Amino acid sequence: MRQFLSFLWLSLLSLLVIPSSASSAADYHEQLNLKPLPLSALLASFNFRSNTTLSEFEKGNFRFFPRSLGQILQHAGTRELHLRFSLGRWDSETWGARPWDGAREGGTGVELWAWLETDTDEEADRKWLTLTNALSGLFCASLNFIDGTRTTRPVMSFQPEGDHSTDNNMHLLYGVLPHEVVCTENLTPFLKLLPCKGKAGIATLLDGHKLFDASWQSMAIDIRPICPPDGECVLQIEQTVDMVLDIHRSKRPRGNPIPRPPPGDQLPCDTSKPYNSHDTCFPVDHTSQEWTISQLFGKTVKGTCPLTDPTIPPVCLEVPHSSSVFVSKDVHEKKNADRLSRCFHISPDTELEIMLPRSEQDASSAITTDIVTPETPLLYAERSFTGHGQERGGVQTILRNPSPDTEVEFIYMESLPWFMRIYLHTMEARVAGQPHANKSLVEQVYYRPALDRARGTQLEVRMRVPAASTVFLTYDFEKSILRYTEYPPDANRGFDVAAAVITILDPPQTVGRFAAYTLRTTSLLCSLPTPDFSMPYNVIIFTSTAIALAFGGMFNILVRRFVAADEAHATGLGVLLARLKGRLKGAVKG
Amino acid sequence: MDGAKVTPGRTACLYIGAAVLRLVIFTLLPGLPDLLTGRVEISTPVTSFKRLQEGLFLYNHNVSPYDGGVYHQAPLLLPLFSLLPSITRLPIFTYLLYIAVDLLSASALWRIADSGEAGSSALFTSPRREKRWSGLVIAAVFLFNPFTVATCLGRSTSVFTTCAILHAVAKAVSGAPFGAMVAISFASYLSMYPLLLLPPLVLLSYDRQHSGRAIKSAPKFAAICASTVAGVLAALFQLSYLVTGSWEFLPSTYGVQLTLSDLTPNVGLWWYFFIEMFDSFRSFFLAVFWLHLSSYVGGLTVRIRRQPLVALTLILGIFAIFKPYPSISDAALFQAMVPLYRHVFPLMRYTFVSTAVIMYATCLGPAFYYLWIYAGSGNANFFYAITLVWNLGQSLLVCDLLFAVLRDEWEVERPEMVGKEIRQI
Repeated sequence: MRQFLSFLWLSLLSLLVIPSSASSAADYHEQLNLKPLPLSALLASFNFRSNTTLSEFEKGNFRFFPRSLGQILQHAGTRELHLRFSLGRWDSETWGARPWDGAREGGTGVELWAWLETDTDEEADRKWLTLTNALSGLFCASLNFIDGTRTTRPVMSFQPEGDHSTDNNMHLLYGVLPHEVVCTENLTPFLKLLPCKGKAGIATLLDGHKLFDASWQSMAIDIRPICPPDGECVLQIEQTVDMVLDIHRSKRPRGNPIPRPPPGDQLPCDTSKPYNSHDTCFPVDHTSQEWTISQLFGKTVKGTCPLTDPTIPPVCLEVPHSSSVFVSKDVHEKKNADRLSRCFHISPDTELEIMLPRSEQDASSAITTDIVTPETPLLYAERSFTGHGQERGGVQTILRNPSPDTEVEFIYMESLPWFMRIYLHTMEARVAGQPHANKSLVEQVYYRPALDRARGTQLEVRMRVPAASTVFLTYDFEKSILRYTEYPPDANRGFDVAAAVITILDPPQTVGRFAAYTLRTTSLLCSLPTPDFSMPYNVIIFTSTAIALAFGGMFNILVRRFVAADEAHATGLGVLLARLKGRLKGAVKG
Repeated sequence: MDGAKVTPGRTACLYIGAAVLRLVIFTLLPGLPDLLTGRVEISTPVTSFKRLQEGLFLYNHNVSPYDGGVYHQAPLLLPLFSLLPSITRLPIFTYLLYIAVDLLSASALWRIADSGEAGSSALFTSPRREKRWSGLVIAAVFLFNPFTVATCLGRSTSVFTTCAILHAVAKAVSGAPFGAMVAISFASYLSMYPLLLLPPLVLLSYDRQHSGRAIKSAPKFAAICASTVAGVLAALFQLSYLVTGSWEFLPSTYGVQLTLSDLTPNVGLWWYFFIEMFDSFRSFFLAVFWLHLSSYVGGLTVRIRRQPLVALTLILGIFAIFKPYPSISDAALFQAMVPLYRHVFPLMRYTFVSTAVIMYATCLGPAFYYLWIYAGSGNANFFYAITLVWNLGQSLLVCDLLFAVLRDEWEVERPEMVGKEIRQI
């Protein structure tokens, strides 16, 4: 009885203790940030974050941390993991600086980098293989194709975001699949990792039809340990979805998606144009920010996830306080002190609908007042191929520093497939407008050349771009021809080359949350020379015939004796015929 | 032209003329060398000058050039070229080096021609030997052969191999077996395949020894020669090891020739065959192709024992057709040796056909390559077909030369058969 009482006491105590500790350490919150961008685009950033203490995690009490992912991490000895699924191109000329300082986005396709805790490089490779195969199954992506040729070990580019003890033997591995097409089958497992499984809260807005129809989208999973100076270390999983919606495209009804021009009398005209009159019109419709959440996403936000931290507003909108925003009833609007954004609190079972009406100002000046002017990025980067033909080419990256007074120093990283044989001696950086290469722009180069069929090229360049100038970074490469079994079925489409990753060192501390500002160029499509896939047998036969002719001709002369023509036994068709005739005659007579 | 008198003035004229021709092209058409360097007919993965520059760049920046898929050439070329001033700032020194190598090759060829070995060897003297071209003509044919000039302008490193092979032969005919063995070791070190020239070269050196200090026993002589080659090669490898700091140059330099891992198109027969080869048979056919290439050495050396120089020439012709990464420089080397047999030209049967086929392929090859790679209006079969034609033309020439030489030998036994119809049984 005494034992039973003490057991009861203990269990009661544990009931009291565990929820309180959980609510302090293992919290969860989610937030959707809507930011109108110029030219009727809208950036929607979904952010879901949950923590679990490391000690609970190691015991297997995952709580808000997805168990499926947690077990993979434990099995593969992964201390920090970053996974990206991206599509499209971020138009920084129009949209400005990247969300999250570029820290939550990837290049086109799938990108994965992780810090594994192992003793040796070989073991790191083995665990990396385990990790990619397991993630491949979990996210329905071809991550298992990240093999030795697609894996690199960046030296300068990536820094861990989490807090790691310094004595750990950590190995950073980076793999990229630029050809991977991100689609709904990757979104479903992504939503399954959330505590509310995408059934409640802002995650209900995430629908494959809308997400993968966006001009640019990036899904990110970041797992890292965080050790606050006072308190226990927690493992944090952050899931981020960023998408740039084309408002007009999103507003098209699903049943009638073909765009049709509006009737002439409904067309808003740019009245500032000199040729504007009753029969000529320059339409300005593409600049308007006029939408409701249900028009854009096809539904409204249905309450909040009951597990989320109620103090964090689920939806925020970045429009100036001067513009008017309509919301559905029972929604509490809170304007932030910066005068450029506002947040909305809702109770767990109310619906949230936001409506931005057409702005009342003159249409031509809409850009300046309707939306917050996007921040200028620290650097613009564009990469393209030069040259023509399928034999050789060049890569040219144009890096533009918009700042009038600050120099930008950054690390430019490329991981190229092995069949692009790059010639590093041709690499040069040149300031636009100057005829010769400027050696002082490139400060440090880390280069690991490709090995045929074993490993890709890894190139990391630490360089700088002076204030208000443009730098051209160029190098040549040669396209290899592959064995015919190494070509994909659509060989003439070309091979995707992963985005270059640019990590800006020591960015000005404006946001402060991320140590580095990263950006990625677009991926490239490299067309290789192709053999004729239809004729392996013919080629084998033709070449063998040519060899046989040479070999036969040669050894025929070598092994046979010369005689005068009249000394040899008669041969040839005439002789054969004569012999046959004789036989026939004999047979007839006999 | 026969028996033309050679004066020092004419020699100097020839060399200066050849050098000036190359220098003029180098200086007047500064874009042409780089254009030719990029041509697949001239630069192969194992001889390309652009790849040499990349290897040199990596070597000078303390990255092992062999830990990558670009550089597949001999390690000792790296310190040689790092001694030269930079190609981007002072290209003239590189040009002068290549011109000097071409002239050295020509002088070796000249010595071979002047020795008369082609017409009368130790064991055989051709009745037609009087009808021959002088060294001047033969050197001029080599130096002004468009293939040689293009190779020199394209700065392919095969010119070093060519030079070493010609010097090996020249040393052998002039009765310096040690020099010949050293030279052939250098050639083998640079390109590996010249090692197959060793048997006929040993025989040639044996036949042409100076009577004073000759080694009578053939096996003993062969053993000494083989050990010389092995010793020189071992020294070169050791030196390479010291230069690069590891042995990884061996698989990268010679392994790539053995396994053909780089399938860049060239004028040979291997590349398309191994692109289209089924993976399970790849190793088998690699072995067959190498066996096939080396099978000629034994047959020719034994059958034409009395004229080892002929065997050498024919094997060089075979190399130009069947080696893994042939280029027009191999064809140029073979075509440099062919004029030594001016005396058997009348016995050749298909000179017109083989010359026409080679010229036809020379013109159409670049055109078809353009159609495939740049215009996109042809496919890989176009260029493959023209390489087949090129190689058939060359093999016709090789077979024809062999026939002519053998008939010349036979007519010594049967002098009454000169000009008669013959048959082989």
